[in-house]
Formats: sequence, C-alpha cells, structure tokens
Amino acid sequence: MTDRIAIKGTSNGLIITIGSGMWEGLVEELDSQLGAKASFFKGGRVALQVGARQLTRPQLESMGQMLSRHNVTLWAVGSDDISTKEAATQLSLETSVIPPKQRNAPPRVARSNGDSLVTRRTLRSGQVLKHPGNVVIIGDVNPGAEIQAGGDVIIWGRLRGSVHAGTKTGSEAIVCALQLSPMQLRIGEYITRSPADDGSREVIPEIASVQDGHIVAEPWRG
Amino acid sequence: MSATVITITSGKGGVGKTTTTANLSASLAACGKKVVAIDADIGLRNLDVVMGLENRIVYDLVNVVEGTCRLRQAMIKDKRVDELYLIPAAQSRDKSALKPEDMIAVVDQLRDEFDFVIIDSPAGIEQGFKNAVAPADRVLIVTTPEVSAVRDADRIIGLIEAEEKGPADLIVNRLRMDMVKRGDMLDTDDVIDILAINLIGIVPDDEHIIVSTNQGRPVALENGSLAGHAFRNIGLRLMGQNVPFLTFEQNESFIKRLANFLMG
Repeated sequence: MTDRIAIKGTSNGLIITIGSGMWEGLVEELDSQLGAKASFFKGGRVALQVGARQLTRPQLESMGQMLSRHNVTLWAVGSDDISTKEAATQLSLETSVIPPKQRNAPPRVARSNGDSLVTRRTLRSGQVLKHPGNVVIIGDVNPGAEIQAGGDVIIWGRLRGSVHAGTKTGSEAIVCALQLSPMQLRIGEYITRSPADDGSREVIPEIASVQDGHIVAEPWRG
Repeated sequence: MSATVITITSGKGGVGKTTTTANLSASLAACGKKVVAIDADIGLRNLDVVMGLENRIVYDLVNVVEGTCRLRQAMIKDKRVDELYLIPAAQSRDKSALKPEDMIAVVDQLRDEFDFVIIDSPAGIEQGFKNAVAPADRVLIVTTPEVSAVRDADRIIGLIEAEEKGPADLIVNRLRMDMVKRGDMLDTDDVIDILAINLIGIVPDDEHIIVSTNQGRPVALENGSLAGHAFRNIGLRLMGQNVPFLTFEQNESFIKRLANFLMG
C-alpha cells in the first residue's frame, strides 16, 4: 500500500484517503489494491476522503462504478472543496465521513421534524422549551418545567409542569399526556389549573382541549 | 492511583450537603481509602467546623489557587482518621475568587495521590456550584423529602445533565419514617418518582447529627447512630459494594417484629 492511498478501518467503517497525484492513476491503483484483497473488501461500505481535491460528478461516478465492481459501496465523500461536495451531493452521497447518526447530537437532544419538535428526554425544573410548531416530549415534564408551543403538545410521559399550547394556532390546539396533571395549562388564551390532587384519581392518558370557552380534559379512548 | 472525584450538591441550602460530605469522607477514610475533602463554599465555610478542624486552618483553597501557598500546606490532616485530609474554603472571600478551571487544576494535582476527592458544593446554581461541579467524575445530589428541596434537586439534575456530568446519584436525607407512615412526609418512592435518578442512600433524621456537627465529630465514625450507619453504607456503595438499604423500623416492638417474623 502506497502513501498515496491509505485504507483505514475506523469505528465508522473503512475510510479510503486519497493523497496527491493524477486522479486516473490513483483510481487504477486503488482498483488493483481492491482486486488484491477482494475478499476483505467484499460487501463493505467505504467512505472516500479526498482532501482539497476538486472532483467532477463523472469522476466520482466512475469511482463509484469501479468500487461497485469490487462489491464495495461508496456512501460518503469527504472533501474541503465545494465543487467536489456538490458533485457528491448530486450523487446523493454524504459529504462527511462521519455517519449522520453521530454527527447529529445524541437522540436525547431535540430534533425538528417539519414543524414538529420531538424531544426524547425529561424536562426538569427550570428548563423551558419554546417552539413555534407542535411539540412532542418522550419523557416527563416535571414540576417547574415549561413548554410553550405554537401548536399541539403531546407528552409520552407525565405532565406535571406548565404547558402553553396554541400560542399560534389558538384554541384549536390540544394537549395530551399519559398522565395529565399540569401545574398550569394554557391553550390559546384560556388558562386552567389541575384540580387539587388527592392521590385518588386514576392515572390514565388524557387529552385537553377548549370546549365552550373552557379547557376540558377527557380520558383518552383510542 | 487515580482518584474518583465526587461533588456533593443540592441546589437548596440546608439539606445536609456539608454533613454528607464530612460523613462520607470519614466513612471512606475509615475503610482505609485515601480521601481529601474540599470545601468549595467560599465565603461561607462550614466543612472545617463539622469535621472539627477549624482551629488548624492556616491556608485555604483560594490561597492555593492564588499561589500564596503550596497545595500541601493547605491540606489539614484529620485528627481521628488517618489518610483523611481537608482543604478548607476561604472565609473572607467570595465565589468569584475561583473559576472552574482553578478547581480542575487543583483537583488534577490530587488525583494521583488519593482514592477519593470529595467536594462540598455551595447551595445555588451560580458560580460556586459551577466551580464545585467542574472537576467532578460523579455527582451526588442531596435532598430532603420536601417538595421545595425536590424541586431544586430536579433543577440541579437538569443542569448537571446539560454539563454531561450525569447520571447523578441521589441521597434522600432526613427521612422521618413515622411521618411517612402518617402520610405527612414524602416517601423515598415519591422523590424518585419525580427525579428518576439512581438512589444511592437514604439517611434518617437523627438527633445525633446535630450533636455531632456541633462537636465536630462525624457521626459515621461512631456506632449507635442510625444516620451514621446510613452514611457508612453510602460509603460502601461508593466503593462498589452492593449494600441493601436500611429499613428504619427499629422502633417497632420486639413482639411485633416476632409476630411479623412468624407470620412470614
């Protein structure tokens, strides 16, 4: 293996780093290297690290074809060059050799899906979540935590903090939770408190909405 | 040797951080571990009083950071337990005298020499808390079974998660079983229900604590106190042992216990 082509196994899979030299020559060299160790590469996924090299879409295409002849799938091209990145994007390849799953923050952190925000963690006292669209929490909303959502709020967990839903959509918004015991609940311009908890209430999923000028909570029935 | 650095914090004041720090440090040292306790409550130092070392202070943590003295000079050796040291806080300064980097630098100097570095955090969520948490490998949250203390603990857990210092462990302090039974006090389960973190200790409310803190003798070093026993158990859990929680049912009469035993 020459230093013009370095093949490295990482926790993100194989990364082939292409050094300096004529592109066509390097592709041929890689071709023969892959041929020599066919069984090692067969069926694998590789990422290409090309540095600042400027590559066109046909060049990347032919590289991809060469790799697939060896039963190797190209999934990413890492480059500092904008036109190379564009070419890779056109071929629907990733432009970073770190898998997207790791590039995004851990799944606990909020991730926006269209106009909905999905958060996979418990909101604790003092934490405020504001979002112009809908909010989905997978976890609890503890006393002292606060959600302000433009639209609906769905909590897959216990709601014991404060929620203001429908800051944009108004009284059309709904709030539901596996346990609906908010400190304070606002939908549009309506506001209510939970009935004093005497501990006797059965814990069931509920959905709150505005009906006839009042916020009403009803048990959830499929 | 590479020390485990544990910060004891709570958010709310007066829930027993300093008492916990003193007793856990003493428990670990009594088990033969090399322990240094650091009072990070600059301006309101207490740990020296609770450990009974107040009259031996010459230099403090701020002196070390400012280079007035060497780290070794600020370390006070405990009078009862070998291998237990205290680095006291400065009393005439405030929280702004330290930065998180300073704490990390001081603690890093201690890591090679000790098994445990236990840091007593000030109350609150400001500079002092940030200083105390910065060098931590583990964080223990102390709360009492009161709604206000639990609320503050929840806030602190959120902040610790944001600092990626978690998952923190929980100590429920000053539990009164008689009040829990009457329904007048939150039970440990109620606290865990909200905070949803690992419970590492339950310490009963115990008059011995008040006497021992006033006299500067950590209760964990003496037999005959239930709180001391609870603190020793937390120490064992910190050393990786699996110790069952105390049940605090010692007030039940012998007959009743016998009846329970016979009836399975």
